Amino acid sequence: MSVSLSARNIVKRYGGVVALSDGNLDVKSGEVVALIGANGSGKSTMSKVINGVVVLDGGQLLLDDKPVRFSSPQAARKMGIATVFQELSLVAKMTVADNIWLTREPLKPNGMIDRKVMREQTEALLDLFSGTFKADLRPETIVSDLHPDEKQIVEILKAISLNPRILILDEATASLDSRQVERLFELVRRWKEEGKAIVFVSHRMEEIFRIADRYSVLRNGKTVGQGDIKEITEKDLIQLMTEKEKVFQFTKAIASEETSGLDQQVYLEVENLTTETLRGISLKVKQGELLGIGGLQGQGQRDLLLALFGDIPYHGTVRIKGEVVRFKHPRQAMDKKLALVPGDRAREGLLYIRSILENFLLPSWRKYGFPLKMKLAKRDAMAISERLSLVMSGLMAPVSSLSGGNAQKVVIGKWLLRDPDCYLLDDPTKGVDVNTKAEFYALLTDLSRQGKSILFYSSDDDELIGLCDRVIVLHDGKIRAELKGASLTKENLIAASMGVSNGGEA
Amino acid sequence: MRRFSISPPVAAILLAIVLFLLSGFLPNGFGNDINVAIAQATNIVRLAVFLGVIAAGQTLVIISGFEGIDLSAGSVVTLTAILTYVTVKGEDDKVLLALLISLSVGALIGFINGLGITFLKISPFVMTLGMSGVVTGLIIIINHGNVSGKVAPIMTRLIARPLSPDIPIPNAIIIWIIFGFLMWLLLERSTFGKHLFAIGVNRVTAKLSGVNVTATNLAVYSLASALAGFGGFLVVGNTGVVFIALGQPFLFPSIAAVAVGGTLLSGGKGSYWGTMAGAIVLTLITSLLTTMQMPDSVRRMVLGATLLVMISIYGRQRGFRQ
Repeated sequence: MSVSLSARNIVKRYGGVVALSDGNLDVKSGEVVALIGANGSGKSTMSKVINGVVVLDGGQLLLDDKPVRFSSPQAARKMGIATVFQELSLVAKMTVADNIWLTREPLKPNGMIDRKVMREQTEALLDLFSGTFKADLRPETIVSDLHPDEKQIVEILKAISLNPRILILDEATASLDSRQVERLFELVRRWKEEGKAIVFVSHRMEEIFRIADRYSVLRNGKTVGQGDIKEITEKDLIQLMTEKEKVFQFTKAIASEETSGLDQQVYLEVENLTTETLRGISLKVKQGELLGIGGLQGQGQRDLLLALFGDIPYHGTVRIKGEVVRFKHPRQAMDKKLALVPGDRAREGLLYIRSILENFLLPSWRKYGFPLKMKLAKRDAMAISERLSLVMSGLMAPVSSLSGGNAQKVVIGKWLLRDPDCYLLDDPTKGVDVNTKAEFYALLTDLSRQGKSILFYSSDDDELIGLCDRVIVLHDGKIRAELKGASLTKENLIAASMGVSNGGEA
Repeated sequence: MRRFSISPPVAAILLAIVLFLLSGFLPNGFGNDINVAIAQATNIVRLAVFLGVIAAGQTLVIISGFEGIDLSAGSVVTLTAILTYVTVKGEDDKVLLALLISLSVGALIGFINGLGITFLKISPFVMTLGMSGVVTGLIIIINHGNVSGKVAPIMTRLIARPLSPDIPIPNAIIIWIIFGFLMWLLLERSTFGKHLFAIGVNRVTAKLSGVNVTATNLAVYSLASALAGFGGFLVVGNTGVVFIALGQPFLFPSIAAVAVGGTLLSGGKGSYWGTMAGAIVLTLITSLLTTMQMPDSVRRMVLGATLLVMISIYGRQRGFRQ
């Protein structure tokens, strides 16, 4: 069974945002193609186009040289394309066997599910990974009882049970341990020999060089390079992934001479911070410093900020101005003058159906006594909305009436009202229009000039390089590199995010 | 272009007024005697007070969101009514004590509701339904071998009679207006109220903005049952007698009053003014149907249908505003 799939000049827009402007990918029987790109380069959109999760806006998909159009993942699956999703697609309350065979259960002649056959087939699949997981992974185990790595294995088995001609592995190794990755790679080699075509999406450079035959690099929605993996070096790949042109002119907060001076007091000191995803983070932030946090998405940046803000439990020591603190609730962190702008503004930052006024004042109501001094509250909220040049019909309008950028201003504005000493920002410019971005940059620069300490995670590498004096890069829950001064370049940032060492001063 | 939209409390009050005016044309209605009309209207509002106070707690738990509801309200009303009855024993100076007992027994029951919902993660529906069973059991134990007691004269005077012979406004209505103002202070002019709306909309946002979600949730269930307890105290002051099924008939109207008043059943949005209007509408419809000598079955059907119609109208309004 020979198969080939080509994606030509794929265009995909989400609203006004162009995720892919010229995506190309070729894969055929018996080869593994690595799909590579930095944050926001469009690689997850690309894999979603191939497996029918999103419908493309332009370009052409050729399956066995015939144009095809997938209206749904089911349509793609019928044509023999299966995906191992990184964000798990399993039903938590069902068993392993039920999940793998969902909608395709083997039936008895009378129309009832044939449990015995289903069990045998599941065991046969589990045998593929036998020895790499604990004995508790059985066909009848409930998925929610499994560890992340075991869930990932079930996800892989579910995809392979379809006996696809084309298999897409989207960050499938992220939660597997080294033995499991080893076994997966053995299987991938076997599948390759059987004539399957495999698309491998990963952020681990080392794995890409081990398993891939060819590569396809995306940058800013465009495919900028394809070829044989043997003919390229790690360094050149990173070069390809690196954006040349810059969109913004940034002004750094403070000349690095001043900040590196000893006179600046250390505001926040973190030692060996460990959570479920973080594996020992140590860092220091000075007063007035804008410390960037980089790395690919989901490497523990979110946990770091949430742990510092007292929202999730952690091991390790946190000091604020030399004093050891251990926050158990965000309230305590706020009392020590910390502020958090969370990553998902709709789900974590805003009360959508409530008014702009109430959103601004939510962390501060206590200051307004009883009965609440509403006139004062309105005046304070008005002052902040003017400072942020918020575009709104009035303070009493619900936040749901605001545009994305203006809604994000409200999330930041509610903290400005409290005048904190330290801001923890989780990708604050995500999904924000260009003008508002520029305003944010000015605001951040301004805040750090006022001596506020800022921890700034961004999925936009240009922002980090343009705004920060120092950037730490997280990879797999650890600080992979600390970049500053001359070493703070896009190449080094991307190299470190891909887990390549020697990407800066560690 | 602004679509015609009207806030739910206003809609409910308008509905009540229209229904009331129409009722004048009934054979045994007030006809064109303005004095009779006023007397009838006053009486309906007076009757709505008890439902209104019991529905206050319901308003709070429904605003707190996450399927918040208090199904134990009815049995708490019965329990505190009986406790008041046996505590007072016809003596004026025991009334304050009885009020205190009603409030604290209510608060305790609500606190246990809150503990189950917050820490054991039992859904409010199941937790308060179970609690309703427990409280009903308690009532039967207390009631065993009959209750002996009596309502104090001062209670009847304060609750059932008018302020003075010249001003024909029953004290219950005045208590309700003051109560409504206090509820407004609580919901709109206190940190607790603002936090309550916040946890009703989005608990993650609330927590990350420093709201103690656990404490707020415990407080709201305690307060809700304490208010039901206050309701029981008022009800017995009005009726003067107690029986096992005293409070239960208030339970579903208390939820309906909140809904008719425009409070979002999913939480995070609503007002006590709305609930007051809702209580008046429901009481008015019930009493109209009673005057028309409709059987209980028809009354239930009409009440149910009214609730559905009102909620679907509010739903549509929200629809085109977005």
